[in-house]
Amino acid sequence: MPEKRVVLKNCGVIDPQDIASYLAADGFKALEKALKLHLKQVIDEVKASELRGRGGAGFPCGLKWEFASKAQGNEKYVICNADEGEVGTFKDRYILENDPFSLIEGIAIAGYAIGAKKAYIYLRAEYHFLLDLLQNAIAQAKKKGFLGHLDIEVREGAGAYVCGEESALMDSIEGKRGEVRYRPPFPPTSGLWGKPTIINNVETLTNIPRIILNGAEWFGKMGTEKSKGTKVFSVSGDVAKPGVYELVLGSPLRELVEKLAKAEKVKTVQIGGATGRIIPYAMIDASLSFESVLGAGAITVFDESRDIIDIVGKTMEFLAEESCGKCTPCREGTEVMVETMERLGRGEGLKKDIKVLEELAETMMLCSMCGLGQAAPIPVVDSLEHFRGEYENRIRQS
Amino acid sequence: MALLVTLNGTQVRGRPGQTILELAQENGVDIPTLCHHADLSPLGACRVCVVEVEGSRTLVGSCHTPIADGMVIHTHSPKVLESRRVIVELLLASHSGVCYMCDKANMCELRKIAAELDVGLPRFQVRKHYYPLEDVSPYIARDLTKCIMCRRCVRACNEVAKHDVFAIAYRGFDSKIVVDFDQPIDKEVCRDCGVCIPFCPTGALSQPRETKTEKKGKPLVVTS
Ligand SMILES: Cc1cc2nc3c(=O)[nH]c(=O)nc-3n(C[C@H](O)[C@H](O)[C@H](O)COP(=O)(O)O)c2cc1C
Ligand code: SF4
Ligand code: SF4
Ligand code: SF4
Ligand code: FES
Repeated sequence: MPEKRVVLKNCGVIDPQDIASYLAADGFKALEKALKLHLKQVIDEVKASELRGRGGAGFPCGLKWEFASKAQGNEKYVICNADEGEVGTFKDRYILENDPFSLIEGIAIAGYAIGAKKAYIYLRAEYHFLLDLLQNAIAQAKKKGFLGHLDIEVREGAGAYVCGEESALMDSIEGKRGEVRYRPPFPPTSGLWGKPTIINNVETLTNIPRIILNGAEWFGKMGTEKSKGTKVFSVSGDVAKPGVYELVLGSPLRELVEKLAKAEKVKTVQIGGATGRIIPYAMIDASLSFESVLGAGAITVFDESRDIIDIVGKTMEFLAEESCGKCTPCREGTEVMVETMERLGRGEGLKKDIKVLEELAETMMLCSMCGLGQAAPIPVVDSLEHFRGEYENRIRQS
Repeated sequence: MALLVTLNGTQVRGRPGQTILELAQENGVDIPTLCHHADLSPLGACRVCVVEVEGSRTLVGSCHTPIADGMVIHTHSPKVLESRRVIVELLLASHSGVCYMCDKANMCELRKIAAELDVGLPRFQVRKHYYPLEDVSPYIARDLTKCIMCRRCVRACNEVAKHDVFAIAYRGFDSKIVVDFDQPIDKEVCRDCGVCIPFCPTGALSQPRETKTEKKGKPLVVTS
């Protein structure tokens, strides 16, 4: 059975308002266990689990923690990225809503492991309705004495997609305009206020208590060679049963789209939101893993009635709108792409448009300063690969 | 401790903390830059200074990336040159300045780099950045139509003049250097300052001239 509830094991089981129900479900046992270990042992366990970041980039979590733990300085920070701005992603919301305690426990373990005394949860502005629930959960954990070593504060975002990017997020917490910073230095050496910082996605941190409690070996039994554990997906679009599903990594996309979400007559699936891959139905058996296609967990299904040029055009509009505007390739390039897609949409494409799009895409991917600009051309590149005919049909014949 | 770096096939020595750009300059390798200025903090915004570092997925900005021991750097590979060209083309595609009517034509860095990289008419079709001329202040004139968002003025104002006149507003293609709540520049602190003006690589910032003053032509500094 590829569907498996590990991260979501408490969702719908415990009462998110009441810590007692969480404690009854082995809550905070992992933290208790971790606090008895040397912090190096905690990091080694996370490293051995080969857990990779669930926020999209897939960076090895344990390695990140190790960098931060070895970095000089007494003042260190943990940030939980709950900005969840990617189009079609709502899996972090589901976790926050149903099991805030597991996340808090994960943050508490992370804080212990790197030696941080302060943690922030950067909550997406649109998730304001979850603020009370989160603060209540933190207060209850504190009252029970689980947060003696770490103060957790919730910070609300400002409604910008780019603020989910780690460096812009840190600028935003510091009270600046949420803008991307160049790297290196990376956050584990110089992050929030220039101090060593780890930043992890909600789902990444929710995996931590499970790994500490059951061991890296147990975790490693799930998944593929380079993608261990499970992944939480949010499925939307042309499906009969949209929602949040958790699958063992490496499961086929078909399982999720057709079997669980009950999609029919699928034309294409966008995997990973606006900056995600666009794959044709012919590839529906692709494995959901870092080796193949994954992203942060957004799965948007489009059926045969949909127009590729329209899908890509709308995606580019979103990205151009959300570009922070700092670097040239993304600021100017996304706008060129929007206008080109509009022209194609009207059936007034120029002969050179396809070639120009391809050359521009290459430079944006190579030269943009952050993941937004680097990944922005992916929808264009993928759709040109799989649906080139639809572009060619929109070139003005004359 | 010296760091050993391979720069365009030659082994050179560098110091920890040195950027790729500094190392290249020290070794007589010319990398174009726009947002970078030796007297200002690095920003990494324009991306024309990108170089290839072996093992890196993307190209890296040479003006802000420190060298590391064993780094293998190519500053003028075909990939690098093509990317720089596309970036300058992008800047020109939305630029609505007209060089033959521009105060800075003789010293404009954008124009110089475009010439060096052999960029002519841009391939890209995109709307132009257009803003009305701001000529209300007797100390500084701004024509944001020619602005390339290098933010040298912002940093010169903060770091050299120690003022805080400029800010960044809006996002993406519409992002813009603004004064107050996007008002034409007319600041008392700018009186007899003008520190930012020579930092601007384009004709976006200039000293207001009296209409009747004769301007003596200077020869083009554009080489290559
Ligand atoms: C434009 C952009 C938006 C991002 N938005 C999010 C987000 O909403 N949530 C998230 O967890 N990571 C987001 N990321 C990824 C973060 O930069 C960062 O890699 C991640 O939070 C690291 O956590 P992880 O290693 O646990 O995945 C975004 C990245 C980019 C480039
Ligand atoms: S790639 Fe886009 S979002 Fe990222 S720094 Fe550049 S302009 Fe900003
Ligand atoms: S700023 Fe430079 S490129 Fe623009 S019009 Fe003036 S000389 Fe030409
Ligand atoms: S006004 Fe000049 S210095 Fe300032 S950002 Fe624009 S081009 Fe750069
Ligand atoms: S000069 Fe390096 S990014 Fe502008």
